Amino acid sequence: MPPRVQNQLVTNSLLPYLSSSSTPTSTISKIPTQCSSSSIPSTSRRTCRPFSSTVASQTKLRNEMFTWLSSEGTALKNHVPGSTNYLTQFKERDEQPAGRTRPFPLNQNFISESILSEELRNEIYDRVVNQKKSVRAVSVDLGVDMRRVGAVVRLVELEKRQKQQGKSLALPYARAIHEMVPTTPLYEDTRDNRSRPHESINDLPVHKLTDPQIFYPVSESRQFNRVDAGRVFSAAPALENKQVTNTAADPAEVISSITQNPSHIEKVGKGAAEQQVLQPADARIPHPHLIAHERFRQSNPNEYREIYKAYSERLRQEETAEKERKRLAKERREQQQTKVQPESSRFEFRFKDVVVSKETTGTDGRGSKAPGIRYGVPSYERKKGQVKIPTRVEV
Amino acid sequence: MVVRIRLARFGNKHQPFYNIVVAQARSARNSKPLEVIGTYNPVPQRPTNLSDEEARSARPYKEVSLDRSRAKYWIGVGAQPSDGVWRLLNLAGIGDGRSKAEN
Repeated sequence: MPPRVQNQLVTNSLLPYLSSSSTPTSTISKIPTQCSSSSIPSTSRRTCRPFSSTVASQTKLRNEMFTWLSSEGTALKNHVPGSTNYLTQFKERDEQPAGRTRPFPLNQNFISESILSEELRNEIYDRVVNQKKSVRAVSVDLGVDMRRVGAVVRLVELEKRQKQQGKSLALPYARAIHEMVPTTPLYEDTRDNRSRPHESINDLPVHKLTDPQIFYPVSESRQFNRVDAGRVFSAAPALENKQVTNTAADPAEVISSITQNPSHIEKVGKGAAEQQVLQPADARIPHPHLIAHERFRQSNPNEYREIYKAYSERLRQEETAEKERKRLAKERREQQQTKVQPESSRFEFRFKDVVVSKETTGTDGRGSKAPGIRYGVPSYERKKGQVKIPTRVEV
Repeated sequence: MVVRIRLARFGNKHQPFYNIVVAQARSARNSKPLEVIGTYNPVPQRPTNLSDEEARSARPYKEVSLDRSRAKYWIGVGAQPSDGVWRLLNLAGIGDGRSKAEN
């Protein structure tokens, strides 16, 4: 391996290899003579080929590299502010804009995912906090996943608080990152954000029940759809014909009734093995109302106002149902709990009601529903392989 | 023999966690009790999911779970709460509100 010669001043610390290209011709001409007259000690070279006067074959690629750096590569030396500086982008600048997301020309599978631009980020925060729009609506309008919308709101909130407290922000770092990776802009017409979304917002999460491959013979005379598939996966009995015809008549209504009352989902199994029947994919995706929206749009192609009205009505129903559900859950939690704030203490005491009976403790007194740590049951707290790293953030 | 309502320490080093138990007074602290009627976590928890105003006045809380009817029953048949449990029962509104020394 020939010694690395760094006799030029490094001009760009981000791209150190480009530094050699500032005087490429001299570098190339120097290469053969370097061994004898280099200022840097090149012990390895001396030991491996002490009497050779030929140019080492390895330096050919290196030569080519420096030729390239001096000719085409010079365009990459200084990046255009506000855009990425990818090799592929430079190569295919005129040909296709898709090259913008693939930084490595030889690795087409590596795709550099874009991040939210400052404007889009601030718009999300503004819509959620100032305009009081729901996370669901903002997610659909701006093409950003609901979890990301939540994260953006929290982070912008944090940033504001830090500004208030006079803490310094890592702005140069943020600027550098925004120039290194592609960003999703906030388009002038915000409908463009919907047609060209930041990411796919309606991805179906993989459910554990769908892992096994089940061979399930069905007669040809019967329809077998996603609802049936869900029932097969969760080992529930098939639906009766009357119910099937009912669901086929108005699928949107069925889906919305599921998503708005998740507690009414049918359950199968006994005792501890009881679980909800796996619902069709249409109900499990993050935005089920979009399917109904699309159906309505296809049936009434030109009535834009009607479509919009129906969409906002559907969205409103979803939101009110969700709010009501959250309120009830909170009420239930409050009911089971009494809070006491004694005068003499800094702390609040929260008393939760539990039940000690034969049903909870079981006949041998070791039932898992009974309160407290159980006696005569091994604790795996200190066992090897217990993962204690938290997997979610309590907000 | 006296039946007591007392605390049995579980949890790890620096992480106390108590079962509120009904047991014979002379039995060892962590021996199998007559009944477990609740738990007490003395490590203060920070309340989450609060708005800014709520967060200003919110106190850290300690969690107690308790079967009130069982506690009342055991006191009714003459079980004697220990000092710590006496205080907790008073907070829960089961005791008579006076401290144990006054009785």
